[in-house]
Amino acid sequence: MSELERFQDAFVAALAERTATPIAGWLPAGEDQPAGLSVYRNTIAKGCVDALAANFPTVARLVGDDWFRAAAALFAAEHPPAGATLLAYGEAFPYWLARFLPADDLPYLPAMARMDQMWTTALFAPEAQPLAAEAFALSPDALAAARPRLHPSLAFAWFDGGLPGLWLAARQPDPGEMTLAEAPQGVLIVRPEDTVRSRLLDAAGFAFLAAARDGASLGEAITAAADADPAADLATLFAALIADGVFVGLVPGDPA
Amino acid sequence: MPPTAGLGLKPQHYAEALAAEDEGLWFEVHPENYMAAGGPRLRWLEAIRARHPLSLHGVGLSLAADADPDPTHLAALKALADRFEPFVVSEHLAWSAWRGVHQPDLLPFPRTQAALDRIAANIGRTQDVLGRTILVENPSLYLPLTGHAFDETAFLAELARRTGCGLLVDVNNAFVSASNLGYAAEAYLDALPADAIGEIHLAGHGVDEGGSSLLIDTHGAPVAEAAWTLYRRLIDRIGPRPTLIERDDDIPAFDVLMVERDRAHGMLTGAGACACPQPLPAEPADV
Repeated sequence: MSELERFQDAFVAALAERTATPIAGWLPAGEDQPAGLSVYRNTIAKGCVDALAANFPTVARLVGDDWFRAAAALFAAEHPPAGATLLAYGEAFPYWLARFLPADDLPYLPAMARMDQMWTTALFAPEAQPLAAEAFALSPDALAAARPRLHPSLAFAWFDGGLPGLWLAARQPDPGEMTLAEAPQGVLIVRPEDTVRSRLLDAAGFAFLAAARDGASLGEAITAAADADPAADLATLFAALIADGVFVGLVPGDPA
Repeated sequence: MPPTAGLGLKPQHYAEALAAEDEGLWFEVHPENYMAAGGPRLRWLEAIRARHPLSLHGVGLSLAADADPDPTHLAALKALADRFEPFVVSEHLAWSAWRGVHQPDLLPFPRTQAALDRIAANIGRTQDVLGRTILVENPSLYLPLTGHAFDETAFLAELARRTGCGLLVDVNNAFVSASNLGYAAEAYLDALPADAIGEIHLAGHGVDEGGSSLLIDTHGAPVAEAAWTLYRRLIDRIGPRPTLIERDDDIPAFDVLMVERDRAHGMLTGAGACACPQPLPAEPADV
C-alpha cells in the first residue's frame, strides 16, 4: 500500500473517529490533537447539511433550522455522499427519517421528504417540450388509441391522510395554519419549462397517470380514471393534465 | 482582450449577471452544481454564457487521491466544458473522494515524490480527456502535516513543468495557509512561477468559531485588506491575470460584490504593460 493510500485511509478514520490518533504519524511531536482536523470535519459536515437543506426545504421548514441541521448531520455521518455532485444528495433521507427515533412524533416527515425529493428530481430532469392542446385535435378513435409519452420530469405519487396538501401548504411563502386532511391524496410534480409545478392529484387523475406510465393508450387511461372515480369529470381532468405540460408526445395506436 | 476581473456566479444573481454590461466581466461556476440533465440552472448558464466569458472551477475531481479520477465525473466535466466552452477549467491540489465516499472539502496530503507522480498522472489523465490544459489551485491548509518532500510552491511548479498545467493562485488561501502554518505569505507567492499562473482568486476568510487561532477560508466575507495587499504585490511581479472575486456564503447583493470586482478590475487594467509571458488564453472562445 502506498504512503498516500495509507494517509488517506488514516485521514478518513480520523474524521470519522473524531481523533487525530490515526494520522499521528504525519503530525509533529506535541501536536497530537490539532484544531485543524475539526475544521476539515466541520467543513465536510456543513457541505453535506447545506446540500440536504437545499434538497429538502419543506422538511427544514416544518421542523425548524436547528432540528433539521442536527438531524441532517447525523444522516450525513451514516450516509455520506457517493459523488461530488450533491444535486440529488439524500436519496436515502426519507427512509432514514422514517426510522429516526426523534421524528417519532412527526409521522408525516418521511412523506414530506419524499415529495421534496420528487420536486428536486423534477428540477434537474431532462428538458422536453410539452404538447400544446392543438396536438390532441384528432378524431375520437385516433385520440383514444394514441399512447401518450410523459414528460421526463413528471413525478406523481399517492399518499395517505392528506400529506400532499400539507406539503403544498408548507411550501407557500406564508403557510398560515396548516392542517392535515383525512382523505388520501395524490401529488403531481412536473417541470414543463423553467418552473417546477406541483398540485394535488385526485384518485382519477392518479389512476390516469399510473395507467399512462404503464404504457396504456389514452382510451385505456381514461377508463382507468373512470374506474377509480365514476363521478370524475374526465374532460376537465384531461384538459388539466395537458395544461400542466404532462404530455410530450403521442404515439399513434392501432385503430380499434 | 487583456486579463480582466470576474465574479463567482450565484443563482440569486442570475438575472443581474445576464444583464450586466461591465467591460471584461466574466463569471465562474463550480461544474458540480451544473452536472444535471436539464433544468433552469443550465438554461441560465447557457444564457449568461452567450453574453459573458465563463470559467469552470471544479471542486470534486479529487486530483490528490491515490486513485484515478472518477471516469463518470470526468465525463460530466467534459460534457460541460464542450457545451459551455469556458476560457479556463481549473481544479484544486487536494482530494475529496476516497474508496467510494465523497468528502465535500479540499483535503490535505503529504507532498511526497510518490504523491507528485500520482497527481501528475491524474492531471495528465484529466487534460487528455478534456483535450485542454487545466489550472491547479493552491488549497487552504489547516494541519501542520509532516513528511513533505516538497514545499507547496515547488510541488505546484513541478506539476506545471511535468504536465503543462497552469496554476490558479488563490491569494486568500495563501494568506490563510501561511497564517495557520506559520510562514510568510509574501515569500510563498514570490516563489510561484510567474509564467505558469493563469488565474488569481480573491475571497474573504473568517476566524475559527471553534476557538482556535486558525483562519478559515469561508468565502463568507469581503476580501480582506491583507489579501488585497498581497494581490497588488503578486500582479506587480507577474503582471495582470484574470482575477475572480469568490463568495459562496453569506452572499450579499450583486452590486456589493461588483464593487470588489471593480476594485480588482481597476488594479488589473491599471497594472501597466507586462513583460512576462502569457501562455494561457485570457480570451473566451467564440460562441
